[in-house]
This record gives sequence, structure tokens and C-alpha cells, in this order.
Amino acid sequence: MPEKTNINKVLIANRGEIAIRIIRACRDLGIPTVAVYSDADRTALHVRYADEAVYIGGSRPAESYLRKDTLIEAARKTGADAIHPGYGFLAENADFAQQVIDEKLTWIGPPPNAIATMGDKHQAREAVKKYNVPLIPGTPAGLPDEELVAAADRIGFPVLIKAVAGGGGKGMRAVHRAEDFREALATARREAESAFGNGDVYIEKLLVGARHIEFQILADMHGNTIHLGERECSIQRRHQKLVEEAPSTFVDDDLREKMGKMAIAAAQSVNYVNAGTIECMVDKDKNYYFLEMNTRLQVEHPVTELVTGVDLAKEQIRIARGRPMTHTESFMNPRGWAIEARINAEDPYNNFMPSTGKITTLITPTGPGVRVDSGVYPGAEISPYYDSMIAKLITWGETRAEAILRMRRALSEYTIMGLKHNIPFHINLMNSFSFITGQIDTNFVEQRFQMDTYENNPTQQELETAAIAATLYAHRKRQLAAQVVAPAKRDTSNWKWVGRWERMQK
Amino acid sequence: MTKYVTILNGEQYEVEIDKDGNILLNGERREVDFLALGPSLYSIITDYKSLEVVIDDEAGNVSVLMGGRLYETQVLDERALLMAMRKGGLGGGSGEVHAPMPGLIVAVPVEIGQEIQQGQTVVILESMKMQNELKSPIDGVVQAINVTAGQTVDKNAILVVISPPSEE
Repeated sequence: MPEKTNINKVLIANRGEIAIRIIRACRDLGIPTVAVYSDADRTALHVRYADEAVYIGGSRPAESYLRKDTLIEAARKTGADAIHPGYGFLAENADFAQQVIDEKLTWIGPPPNAIATMGDKHQAREAVKKYNVPLIPGTPAGLPDEELVAAADRIGFPVLIKAVAGGGGKGMRAVHRAEDFREALATARREAESAFGNGDVYIEKLLVGARHIEFQILADMHGNTIHLGERECSIQRRHQKLVEEAPSTFVDDDLREKMGKMAIAAAQSVNYVNAGTIECMVDKDKNYYFLEMNTRLQVEHPVTELVTGVDLAKEQIRIARGRPMTHTESFMNPRGWAIEARINAEDPYNNFMPSTGKITTLITPTGPGVRVDSGVYPGAEISPYYDSMIAKLITWGETRAEAILRMRRALSEYTIMGLKHNIPFHINLMNSFSFITGQIDTNFVEQRFQMDTYENNPTQQELETAAIAATLYAHRKRQLAAQVVAPAKRDTSNWKWVGRWERMQK
Repeated sequence: MTKYVTILNGEQYEVEIDKDGNILLNGERREVDFLALGPSLYSIITDYKSLEVVIDDEAGNVSVLMGGRLYETQVLDERALLMAMRKGGLGGGSGEVHAPMPGLIVAVPVEIGQEIQQGQTVVILESMKMQNELKSPIDGVVQAINVTAGQTVDKNAILVVISPPSEE
């Protein structure tokens, strides 16, 4: 029997919306929480939402959220007996997980050796291969340029160059023609070196017209491993997911059964415990290939929560405490449909350029079937130090159509001013015929989606109204400024005025 | 009577407001009920159309969010209009490439004196863990390069200046 542990206080080694998501799970369970923050995050929402908060250093991640010793010291100082890593930062760092365990703290995540194996793409492929999990043709990691060039020719173009230390879309590059390969390789190595401090890359066959479909896994210390169905994540740009949904229009009962079994086998190949995700590519003939396992809670976990009713963050804590998990049967029949739109500080009209600044106005959608996981508030500064995702908007409906209609309604209620964001992109996507009919693959956004296809030019009346509104705004502001200045203008100097005032007070 | 010229989508709208708040748009009277609801939130009713708009300004540019669309305008009073005219007309494209956010210069793939086209990449800036290609706003010749690879820059720093091609 596994040892049962109590968790009395959780330190969340993260920031932004995911830190708040985990604090909320702890609150639901009655467990006090500790937030950590950098210079840039003193006024961040997660700091204000937690019971305790510890300053951990400078704004750059390497000076704060990635400092293992400092995080453990913060747990010691506050008496936290468990650490939840969230996603990103140290969530998939096996050394940190081991260090937490060695310090006799509870690690709310998978075992360090499972993180290490799945974190090394070559080892991961070797591990799952033994369990008959299908793999995309590719090369091992760390080969020199000449061998990679030969391998790319052998596998056949198009190929994908991927950074060994990458993930989440960072450090990946598609090459479609042999003559572009060397230049792309140099760029990929340069990006990997600057982003991860490791320029090692490997190659994989790029599947054309393929979908990105992943399975949510939960496993406890009592030998139970289940899947909670799939998530469709094909709406991506530069391998960054923008919209996710559960279930997938492409997955029928038969495919769900087969892929679910494969996902469970992949998790069991590394004796996985806690929440994880098996990412797959599925081609148009429903052939599926294991891509990688993400050994953490994912950004898009809410869509699974809405169609299964399971609180994944709470379940993670339950599993870490050594309890058997709530459900021990896989979820074959999703309840309704859920869609998530990632709200990023990126300008969809300017090549998705990141935008920084202060959120001056924030009106968050509410109403039936709407969930918002957000890390911002009116007045919040979006700094250049961290990811550009500021919130997630998730809608649920009995059918996919209802979920899309609710997403449209919620997007139109969502008002964010002060910086550029991608809500207009989501509005256009929800109006796109291809998305509505589920005709999507991982290249859809980059190759077949244009912002202006779905937009009408503003009417003359709309332009006139906007011009009048802008002018009245500026006019009132000027009048107000004139009033504020006027009382300060005294007919005599301030020194004389003070003298008179003092004499009057005698 | 206060007179403004508001520039939107390259068009000029002449808006006059008198002491009683009556509004003339391009010389025509308009019935407008414009009410502040909170900081930067307004309700506007014209022709029975009821709209909630969010308005913000930064450095003289007024942005209006209306019906999910962002309208970026410049509101010029008579003095500002006069100054803009002296500086060489309204709405002329500038050849300055600014840093849209703080970040690290990865590369500057152009040289001084090089002829470039609108939309050509002049600087690669890394910020928010992404490499962003900053493009030339106009056709022209690279006049100045103020940064080198490896340097960090602040928001709004002028990185590269492009001068329009000389008329022959």
C-alpha cells in the first residue's frame, strides 16, 4: 500500500492564470496556499489571491521562477509541505521534482524518473516503443549537421526540426524543400541555444493534413491508470495552440477506444502517476502516432474538466496525497462539448506580434456555459518577461454548435483595452466555415485562414459614430483639464498667498 | 464653437461642438447622446442605435472599441491641425521602425544605404520568448541603424530609420 501523506499548505511555484487555478483548487479543498513572485509580479493577481506570498527575485524567470533552492527555501519559511509546479517553468524539471522529494516535501506531479524519461524525446520513444505505441519516423537527438542532412533526405520532405530541450511550440521549424534545410537547421539551433541553452535538435517526418489530438491521463499510486477522453488542438500557429476543444469532431467511439488504450499504455511504460497528456498526430486516414507526453497539467485542461465533470487540479492533489483517485474507469462518453480560446496579448492584424502595456479596461464575459481562467485585472501591467497568454475563455454547450454560439457571445462581451490582443482572431475563427464544420488540421490557421475573409469593412455610419465618439471624448477631456488647471491660477504668487494664510491663522 | 478634425481610416471628419453641446459633423447637425458610464466606458445613442463603446487615449491618439472593432483615431484641435500641416501634411507614413516592446536584438539583416521595400524585415527582436520580425513601414533607403545584435532595447526605441526614395 502506498503511504498516505497529508498536505497542510501548498506552495505554487508559478504565476499567472495557472497559479490562480491551483490556488482555487486548494481553496476548494480548504488547504492554505503560498504564492511566489518576482519584481515584475508584486501586484499580480496570484499574489493577491494566495494566503501567503514570498518574494523570490528579479523579473527574468532565471532570477526567480526557475530558482530551485529559493523556491524550496520559500516553502520552508512559510511551512508549506507540498509544491505544485503548474505548467512551464520547473513543471517538467526532473531535478527539481527530485529535490522537492529529497527535502521531504510532497511533489504534486509525476515521479522524477517519469519526467526525465518523457522529457528526453529519444528515451521517450524507446520507452513507449516496447508497449507497441506507434511512432512518427525520425532521428535520435544530438546528431551533427551532416548526419541530419542525410537523415532528412532518407525520411523525405517535409520534415520538422525540433529542439531537444524545446516544447510548447518553442524551438520547432518545418522545412519543405531540401535546399532550405541547412539554413533552417542553423536558425533552429540558434533559437534553441538562446531559448534553452542547448542547441541540440532532431528531425521528424512532418505529416501533411494531420490533426493534433491528445489524451488526458490520470494515474494514482494504487495501480489505476485511466484516460479522460481526447482534446482536439489543431488550431495552432507556429505550433502554439490557440483553440482547443473536447471531444474532437474527428474521433469516433472506435478511434477513442483504440487511442485511449494506446495512451494508457504509453503512460504505463514509465510507471506514470498523477495527471499527464499523451500528444498524438492523427492523419486524415485516422492513423495515429505518439508525439510526446506532457508530464504536467496542461493549459487546455479545462475543456476536459467541463465534459467529464472531473476537477483535474483537485485530483492531482488527491493523488499526491496517496489516495486512490475518484474515478477508476476511463471516460468514453464525453458530456456535451467544450471549447477553449486562449486570450493572448498578440496583435492578429500584425503577424501576431506580442504586445505589452497596461490593461486599462477589462470586462469579462459571464452567463450560461462560460468559464474564464484569467491572471489579469484592470490596471495590470503585461510585462515582456513572461508568456503572452493572459487568460483563457472556455465555453460549454450540450452540442458543439451551442458551445460555438456561446463562445461567439462571450467573445463579443469580452472587452480588453490598453494592449493588442487576439480576441478579433477568435471572433473570426468562430465565424469561419471550416472551423464550424470541423474541417481543420494543424496548418489551417497558417495556410488557409485570413483575418479579412470574415470581416466586412465598417459602414460609413459606423465610421462617423466612431469619429464623433472619439471627438467628444477628447473634447470632454480638454474641458476637464481646463477646469483642473484653473483653480491653481491665483492672482498673486504662492508665497504671498501662504503669508496671508499664516497671518489669518494667528 | 470648438472645431476639431478627426482622422480615421485615412479620412478626415470635421466635428464642431457648440456651447450647448450640439454637434455638427462635416457641417451637418447630428443628434448624439454620449454618456460616461465609468472610466473609459461610454454609452452612445444616435439614430436609435445604442452602443457601448470603450475609449482610451495614448499620446494624442484616441482608440474607440465599438462592436468588437477597434477604431484608431487622431483628434486634432485647431492648433494641433495647424502644427500638423506645417510638419508636412496629415497622415504621411514615417520611416522609423520602433521597438513595439522591450527586448533583445537578434539580428539586423539590412545595411545603411540599402534599398528596401515596404514589408521587408529590418530587425529581428526577441521578446516574450518569441522572435519577432519588424518590417519596414515604407519603401526607401536605410538611413540609420541605431542598434546591433545582442543589444537590449526599451519600448519605443527607434531602431532603424528609412528615408523615402528621392524623387527624380
